[in-house]
Amino acid sequence: MGFEFMYGAYSVAWVVIFSYMLILGKRHTKLKKEIEFLKQLEK
Amino acid sequence: MSMNLEREKAVLPGTQLTVKNSLDLSKILFGATVISMLAALYFIFIFAAEEVTMGAAQKIFYFHVSSAWLAFMAFFVTFVFSILFLIKRKRIFDTYAYISAEIGVVFTIIVLTTGPIWAKSSWNTWWVWEPRLITTLILFFIYIAYIMIRQMDGVWDKKARLAAVFGIIGFADVPIVFFAIRWWQTKFHPIVFGEGPSQKGGGIEGTMLVALFVSLAAFTILYSYLLHKGVSFEKMKLKVEQYKEKLREDLEK
Amino acid sequence: MNIFRTALLLAKKDLYSELKTKQIMVTQIIFAGLVIVVFSFAFDPANNTTKAVIPGVIWVIIVFAGILGLNRSFISEQRNDTMQGLLVAPMEAASIYLGKFLANFTMMMIVELVSIPFLFLLFDFKFYGSLPYFILVVFLGSFGFIAIGTFLAALAANSKSSEMLLPLLLFPITTPILIGVVQATRIILTNMEMFSSAVAWIQLVTAYDVIFFVVCFLLIDYVLEV
Repeated sequence: MGFEFMYGAYSVAWVVIFSYMLILGKRHTKLKKEIEFLKQLEK
Repeated sequence: MSMNLEREKAVLPGTQLTVKNSLDLSKILFGATVISMLAALYFIFIFAAEEVTMGAAQKIFYFHVSSAWLAFMAFFVTFVFSILFLIKRKRIFDTYAYISAEIGVVFTIIVLTTGPIWAKSSWNTWWVWEPRLITTLILFFIYIAYIMIRQMDGVWDKKARLAAVFGIIGFADVPIVFFAIRWWQTKFHPIVFGEGPSQKGGGIEGTMLVALFVSLAAFTILYSYLLHKGVSFEKMKLKVEQYKEKLREDLEK
Repeated sequence: MNIFRTALLLAKKDLYSELKTKQIMVTQIIFAGLVIVVFSFAFDPANNTTKAVIPGVIWVIIVFAGILGLNRSFISEQRNDTMQGLLVAPMEAASIYLGKFLANFTMMMIVELVSIPFLFLLFDFKFYGSLPYFILVVFLGSFGFIAIGTFLAALAANSKSSEMLLPLLLFPITTPILIGVVQATRIILTNMEMFSSAVAWIQLVTAYDVIFFVVCFLLIDYVLEV
């Protein structure tokens, strides 16, 4: 009784949360690459 | 040009230590998030009783309400840090305000997507003209506008100042929007569906209340984790910029 | 009161420069007229149920024409580089806000004076309600809209894409005014028995006006900082 809706809603909520964390992760790797590059420059 | 104004010597060995401290806190918060989320899911799906009339779809309520609560919390945090920034003008306040608004938008998206799904399941309509849902929609637009201000071209302190002012006005507007919409709905279209999806009527059962509190706690911990991660990230970005400025200056010598 | 005098001075300057060219006001009026014509295509004026839409249409044209005027109020300063001059002048930021507000509000009233009768004409709207209250509602609604609009125009003027930013900032914040004022107009124009609700809506809009006028007054210093 309404299980599809429940699963749908929860999956949507988790998709949103995980996509935000993915965006954060992408920013993180970009910054890490920059730091690595700068560290190389320093040497 | 203003980048030179904030140029400071980036002390790299020193930053190693602080990075380590925030790494610990980050790990703790992440662990706490995972644990509390799992606990919340247990409480929602296994512990709480199933509602008689709405069935399984009613369980959407836990995530929906928790997200709504956290969305408002996040914007309140933005409001507070906006005021603090205007008074003290420290960059860290502006960073907290911005990250909190971003996270608030994420939670608002969750509310605005789970809301219609619940509405479709319970009242067979994708959108409900219900005060809290509409207020959340307006809130969404207000904070998108806030983020757009920060995408402006210009120096950081001008953007931060303008965004802080807008953050204050936006948050002050929210109660008025809520009351206006509530008046609009109840005066002319009395709420046919009883207590409405977001209003906890007098008949909420004990187990459901516990599950609600657990999911609320889980979401709060998730919010703190995201906030902390976001802010430490911005701080790192700033340090990298400062370092790049220092390098640029050294190169010019 | 020094603030009022300098504000009036600024308002007079804006209004005189506007009256010379009449550029913006004419654009606003023509735009309002065009929106009315588009609405008459969208909703059949002969149909009786269209009467129900009229209150909303009034406020749509006010909002859209208003945005045009608000954009101009600070853009012209940016373009002619007179913004610095205003800030350096011996007037407080609050009087800049007040002066701009008075100028914008006057222009808004003139535009409304022309376009609302035109709307009633085109839609053949028989005016049943009471004129004084209608004028009051239009006055209060425009007051709040222009108050927060002038403030946000000053804020948005700092950006290169200010014309796009202003509507984005303005529309969400003015939703309470729009809701209140459309409801009040609807009751006053068609359904005078529910007058007490109209009074309640008018009170809401008045409260909004007062709160936001004061808040803008307090915060304008931060927006117009150098």
